[in-house]
Amino acid sequence: MFWHNLKYEFRVTIRNKDFIMWLMLFPIVLGTLFKVAFGSIYEKNDLFSAIPVAVVKTAENPIYDGVLAALTEGDDAALSVTFVNDEEAKKLLFDGKADGILYLGEKAELSVAGSGMSQTILKEITARIGVYETVLADATATMDPGKIEASLRALSAEINACREVPFTEANPNVYVQFFYNLIGMVAICGSMSGLHVATNNQANQSALGARKNISPTPKWINLSADLTGSLVSQAVCMVMSVTFIRFILRIDLGRNLPLLYAAAILSGCLGVTLGFFIGSIGRLKHEAKSAISLSVSLFLCFLSGLMVGNMKAILVEKAPWVNKINPVAVMSDSYYCLNMYSDYRRFLEKIVVMLIYVAVFTMLGILFTRRKKYASI
Amino acid sequence: MKPTIVKIENLVKRYGELVALDHFSLEIKEGEIFGLLGPNGSGKTTTINCLLSLLSYDKGDIEVFGKPMKPTSYDIKREIGVIMQNVAVLDELTVRENIDYFCGLYIRDKAKRKEYVDEAIRFVGLEDFVNFRPQKLSGGLLRRLNIACGIAHKPKLIILDEPTVAVDPQSRNRILEGIQELNRQGATVIYTSHYMEEVEQICTRIAIMDHGRKIAEGTKEELKGMIRNTESVSIEILELPDEIREKIAGLPHVYETGYDGDRLTVRCSGGRHNLIRILGVLQEAGLGFGRVYSELPTLNDVFLEITGTALRDAKGE
Repeated sequence: MFWHNLKYEFRVTIRNKDFIMWLMLFPIVLGTLFKVAFGSIYEKNDLFSAIPVAVVKTAENPIYDGVLAALTEGDDAALSVTFVNDEEAKKLLFDGKADGILYLGEKAELSVAGSGMSQTILKEITARIGVYETVLADATATMDPGKIEASLRALSAEINACREVPFTEANPNVYVQFFYNLIGMVAICGSMSGLHVATNNQANQSALGARKNISPTPKWINLSADLTGSLVSQAVCMVMSVTFIRFILRIDLGRNLPLLYAAAILSGCLGVTLGFFIGSIGRLKHEAKSAISLSVSLFLCFLSGLMVGNMKAILVEKAPWVNKINPVAVMSDSYYCLNMYSDYRRFLEKIVVMLIYVAVFTMLGILFTRRKKYASI
Repeated sequence: MKPTIVKIENLVKRYGELVALDHFSLEIKEGEIFGLLGPNGSGKTTTINCLLSLLSYDKGDIEVFGKPMKPTSYDIKREIGVIMQNVAVLDELTVRENIDYFCGLYIRDKAKRKEYVDEAIRFVGLEDFVNFRPQKLSGGLLRRLNIACGIAHKPKLIILDEPTVAVDPQSRNRILEGIQELNRQGATVIYTSHYMEEVEQICTRIAIMDHGRKIAEGTKEELKGMIRNTESVSIEILELPDEIREKIAGLPHVYETGYDGDRLTVRCSGGRHNLIRILGVLQEAGLGFGRVYSELPTLNDVFLEITGTALRDAKGE
């Protein structure tokens, strides 16, 4: 009886429109949107490329040659320069092949055709070049001009008394947090399948529940088979979501992918059992409970920062306990801790909180659905 | 003497102040098609839910197959098939899968189950729709699927709670014929309805319910024998002087007349040839009349005479 029920619970779950929509399509669509919307910002921030600039020399100045050489060499070159005359420079600028024209003569002057990140950087660089030129011009008046380049390197080198010790080797990008929240949202949307389990097994909630209750299959078999089916289906969804984000969207979700999968599966179990608990309380119709479950899920996602990026930071300041009890925040924090910290203490704390949630929701759900006779139907 | 399949004694069910079942008793013998007839809210579904141990009740005893019925009476439940008032199928499964799923709650053996499922599909005539999802089926076909899900495991006791609500006449006839066929195959049937024609058509014994009480019980003939009315005559007539109406009221066997401006209704309590006598009075007075109907008493007349309200007009709780 258990396997018979389980087989059909799988079929029902994977054909359920809500399940397909919220747990399979939604993470794919939203994940792709995140990638499209924030991906370019991420790449601009993290994968900086040399700014193309046209250089017009109006006079020979060895100091400028040295500065430009320092800015254009190596893998982390700030500028990609093209030496041209004024007319060609303007053409490159208007064709979009250069972000600015740098006029180097007695003074360094910049000409740009728009505003943006590259133009702002160019403006800063031009101001720096002016400062270097002044300092070095004073210095070269009293020293060997052949040492200008060495002086320039020494001038631009950062002197820091502190040694940089990274606290993590992980990807600290804030942008990844959106994907952690998305995984949390997929998990919490599992509440819908948990809700079905509760209402489909109670005679006072649905005709289907009544039909199951009058069958000779004991209630605990129906309930355990349905709950198992939902949990396994949800686990599959979680694995699919993480796989899609990591391997299709190519988002760096951290170093420890197997543990991330495990945490995501546990999160999915939390979502299902939350829905099971909501479905088991009260006598509201399935549709009403479904609306409540969805609203609760979206609200928890909102609090975890899925809709407003800095919501978590706001809550840390105003009401830090919310993040500690919000299941979605706990879920996404567990992925974050796994990624950010080299030890597992914080990660395990979150896992324990999730396990407690799962146990409490399951026990309460069973407690409320176990009755076999109803006062009214 | 046939064994008793269902025995309900002094069943009382209250919802707060409302008494849904008021010392309701019933005994159903093997092989019967037992009809529970009553208006909406009369307590039919409550009786069924108590019988199935879904509802708790305040007082009374229920026995099925000679054993007390409890929520854990799985051996009894295995022999019961229920077709609920509301269609209870899974939208995500096909017709065949639905029947197999519900049959699987009763029958473990796969080969036997396949055979039963095929039989149920043939029985309700859904052979051409086995791979359809429920939302693709018409109301009538959906009801047939609902029935197939309830009877596929070949129960000895079949309970049908208003199975023909919102069903087209063709499907309704098929359902009623099916119930009679199941009965011929050996099943005892409990059939609840507020459609007196259906109950009259298929039930071998009937209990009429109102406000949670059993107000009459017996065969159709026994029930009709309980009331005075043996014939109701209706005549379309545009003008009926009072003295003529009084003359008709004075005819032998006539116990009640009514006139609403274009139709004369005469109720008779016995004897034959009442219609000829009534028409004779009208012809003698030189009054023209239109269509004439003569009806034998129905269960509605039984209900009307016992409760003072027509079955169709009776309000729910």
